[in-house]
Amino acid sequence: MTVAPERPASLVGARVRRVNDPRLLRGEGRYVDDVHVAGMVHATIVRSPIAHGVLRTFDASACGALLALGPDEIAAATRPLQCVWLAEGQRQTEVLLGDRRVRYVGQPVGVVVALSRAAAEDAAELIELDYDELPTVADQEQALRDGAPLLQPEWGTNVAADFRVGDDAETVEAAMARAARVVERRLVIPRIVPSPMETRGVVASWDANLRELTVWSSTQTPHHVRDHLATSLRLSADQVRVIAPDLGGGFGSKEHLYPDEVMVSLASMRLGRPVKWIEDRVEHFTATMHARDAVHYARLGMDEDGRFVAIASDVIGNLGAHPSNVGTGPFRISGSMLPGPYRFSSAGVRVRGVLTNTTPTGAYRGFGMQEAAWVRERLVDEAARELGVDPVELRLMNMVREDELPHTTPTLQDYDSGDYVEGLSMLRDMVSKREVPSDANPRIRRGVGYGSQVEFTGLGPSPVQKIVGFHLGGFETGVVRVDPDGSVVVSSGVMGMGQGIETTLAQIAADKLGVPLEKVRVTLGDTKVAPYSASGSIASRSMTVGGGAVTRASIALSDKMRRIAAHQMEADAGDVELVDGVFRVKGVPSTGVAFGDVAASTWLGWDLPPGEEAGLEVKDMHEPANISYSYSSHAAAVAVDLDTGKVHIEGYWVTHDSGTVINPMIVDGQVMGGVAQGIGIALYEKMTYGEAAQPTTTSFLDYLVPLSGDVPDLVIGHTEHPAPHIPGGMKGAGEGGTIPAPATVANAVAAAVPEIAGKVLETPLSPGRMWELLHEAGLHDRL
Amino acid sequence: MKPGAFEYVAPESLEAALAVLTDRGEDASILSGGQSLLPLLNMRLARPEVLLDINRLGELATWEVTGDEVRVGALVRAARLERDAEVLATLPVLPEAISHIGHPQIRNRTTVGGNVAHADPSSELPGVLAALDGSVELRSQSGTRTLSWDEFFVSVFTTAREPEELVIGVRFPLLRGWDVRFTEMARRHGDFPIVALTVAVQEDGGVLTGLRAAATGVADRPVRLTEVEQAATGRSLDDAVIADLAGLARDAVDPQPDGAGSAEYRKHLVGTLLSRVLAPELGRSAA
Repeated sequence: MTVAPERPASLVGARVRRVNDPRLLRGEGRYVDDVHVAGMVHATIVRSPIAHGVLRTFDASACGALLALGPDEIAAATRPLQCVWLAEGQRQTEVLLGDRRVRYVGQPVGVVVALSRAAAEDAAELIELDYDELPTVADQEQALRDGAPLLQPEWGTNVAADFRVGDDAETVEAAMARAARVVERRLVIPRIVPSPMETRGVVASWDANLRELTVWSSTQTPHHVRDHLATSLRLSADQVRVIAPDLGGGFGSKEHLYPDEVMVSLASMRLGRPVKWIEDRVEHFTATMHARDAVHYARLGMDEDGRFVAIASDVIGNLGAHPSNVGTGPFRISGSMLPGPYRFSSAGVRVRGVLTNTTPTGAYRGFGMQEAAWVRERLVDEAARELGVDPVELRLMNMVREDELPHTTPTLQDYDSGDYVEGLSMLRDMVSKREVPSDANPRIRRGVGYGSQVEFTGLGPSPVQKIVGFHLGGFETGVVRVDPDGSVVVSSGVMGMGQGIETTLAQIAADKLGVPLEKVRVTLGDTKVAPYSASGSIASRSMTVGGGAVTRASIALSDKMRRIAAHQMEADAGDVELVDGVFRVKGVPSTGVAFGDVAASTWLGWDLPPGEEAGLEVKDMHEPANISYSYSSHAAAVAVDLDTGKVHIEGYWVTHDSGTVINPMIVDGQVMGGVAQGIGIALYEKMTYGEAAQPTTTSFLDYLVPLSGDVPDLVIGHTEHPAPHIPGGMKGAGEGGTIPAPATVANAVAAAVPEIAGKVLETPLSPGRMWELLHEAGLHDRL
Repeated sequence: MKPGAFEYVAPESLEAALAVLTDRGEDASILSGGQSLLPLLNMRLARPEVLLDINRLGELATWEVTGDEVRVGALVRAARLERDAEVLATLPVLPEAISHIGHPQIRNRTTVGGNVAHADPSSELPGVLAALDGSVELRSQSGTRTLSWDEFFVSVFTTAREPEELVIGVRFPLLRGWDVRFTEMARRHGDFPIVALTVAVQEDGGVLTGLRAAATGVADRPVRLTEVEQAATGRSLDDAVIADLAGLARDAVDPQPDGAGSAEYRKHLVGTLLSRVLAPELGRSAA
């Protein structure tokens, strides 16, 4: 059994409290809206109220603002933003700023600055805007039809990219033809709004004297934002400093630079004053990337014994009005990860990324893998239902076994380590210990559902990012320094966004250097201070890639201090140990030189071994050798009210393996938050568009997210199979909670009400939608 | 998302407030708890010239329980009624219904007068008022008038309040000898209900001697299910009768579809909720 071991003597694996929480809980955090700079003024963004058209008039002459920039001025002063994830043959690879052609409600067309936000909004109302409207399309399948309105008429189609992942069509069809049974379904994943508690925001401050632009930004990727801002504003990279203060969540939506953020920065340069813009919640519903929104025509082929043979899907992904920074990336990853933890002789996916008159879609916790799990795990349960076998047994039979790892999927994923069978078996044992509610109302049905997944975490390696067309480096840098007073400073290009990375990086450094946790400070998020990070905190990579770098840097620094201490004690470094802050020669307790004294003398350059450099700072650049593949299995017990259509989750269980766990409490928190967002997708969340592609869910009154009362207490079991190729053995832990949760809840609903199982193909399973399914299935004979 | 410019007036007395309404009632929005108005202001969907803040009118912030009613001043916070022992003992349906309005922080601010005056067609308290045959007190400089719920609620967000009038109180009659029950179906606890139902039952030896049922969420204002009420009287509450009444309730309403569900779903919900509230021993809902 590989249940995560307790390591009482070690800070790695310790349930230590998060170092930032006291500050945040006391209200002493500093988010972008808490940044106040002398002379600061306030911006609002002028956004298109129509979904498709041409802006004929933008006349700000009577608006009375300090500054109003329209599309032409913005376009003239900026370069377009380059998309970083490019599919083969992708027809559009950059996003224009100040485009007079508007393609979604919320598209930024101008910026207005005044002494207060309210005054800026007053001024914006006085701008004369005149649009010629064009026909609209919001649904990707409608956008594929002949005669659909075209967003880029010169293409003659709305398809921005059309490519395959995994086996070619011929191979897939041949495998399906050999299958004794093929389960085929149209499965839909709704459009999701990331909804971090803190919306986006920037304070941009141009220093005309230094010729430097400082931008406080609520971002997961400060260096990415810096690079793209500099390019867009025709500055050198070093002229732009991006500081990401405390982040109130991002979930993927803050992984790049948005056009409106460039406009605010441009306004600061024009005015020579700091300018603040905070995205409001209504704006967030149309101005920040959405996610998911894919239709899968999917097939699972198996032999007569239920052994899986092939899996395939035709993915029609809604890109929105233009490819976002990551464009078709999530749809591609849905294909790459479609096989999940199971053995297939063939797997292949066709991906079409389709433009529509909606907000662009991009990264959100799970990044294509939640969609893959939805498709695969629903198909598996449907297969079990058709075969009349237990869905857990069907999974166990088809899972890649521990002794088959490493394993390369037909979609070219090199699964590294783990025991998927162990995780699901352990989960089933946990579920079997539950207490089944005893009330016997025949109008309440109960069922348990399962879902399993393998997860792509710890992006890079850089060469892999090149292969998939992701134009960012995948390495990460850790800088660890022991200052002359013996205190420790860790810096990395990854970002804290509420996930607790400041704590876990400190745990690693303290553990490797042998100092108490309180001695370590972690500084992140400032491009003037933190080492370069192309990718930042995305893709469950902060601990894997950044933590790997900090692990190696800390070990190298510890070795150096040991060498110096040994020299000062005239001993061999191999005989030196650090006990209670004092370097000692093993077995000679009377000897000793304090950790702080080694630090002080090294920064003086005194008493060093020959050839040893003064100073105690190590920089390690970590390029991982492979993706690291975390995995999880989930189970949900639900009650379905046949008359109201309400689904109530009565129990939820998770087994999770993210390699070496640095802090089980933080990983539990990641799993819990991830499951909560998965439950949101399962039962509540869906962004919708109505007539003329007008968004119809633009506040939390219409777009529901789960509240704490809607999320059950979770039972979480950890197993621990270290990543063989990552220093420290960590794998990513950020997304395994979200990925299988919607399919798991839906499988439980299908188990509870087998009469509708074949129709559970789309989320959210809201009461209104559930009631329709139950009604169509004839379950309302009784009043 | 900041309000457009408005003039802010916060009088210290009811007379002063009414004077503002006499002069500028057409152009004024009245701020009490602000739980609905402030989002509307921030989204610039409400654009009053004058914002009349009545939160200093302490005389509207009291309630009293008398022999035949609970009279609630317009400025009484929902949470205070919800936690009041005398109200709980006298009219328990009121705290029960209030417990479904938003969340504790919202109920700490929201006022009974504001909730009723806003006239959201799915809101809880208008339905309670309808079931109890309650009324709303309005005052202007020219006097006070009391409108029955049926006169007061006109349509979606629309009441019979004149621009120069202020809702000063809400009267919930006590139905002695009746058992008043509340139930609702919402997507999450605290959301506006898809359908809410208040039902008052009077029984004598297992025979219904009176029934009142009011639903919200099924029309542009609260509706009384009069066909159900008439059909129930004189019958004993067995499964067949409950099924019959639930069927009548479904036929009695003509709801509109929206993002929460179809018209058919809402019609069925009215019947489902009625049958469950009449026979709670038949089973709880899933949530």
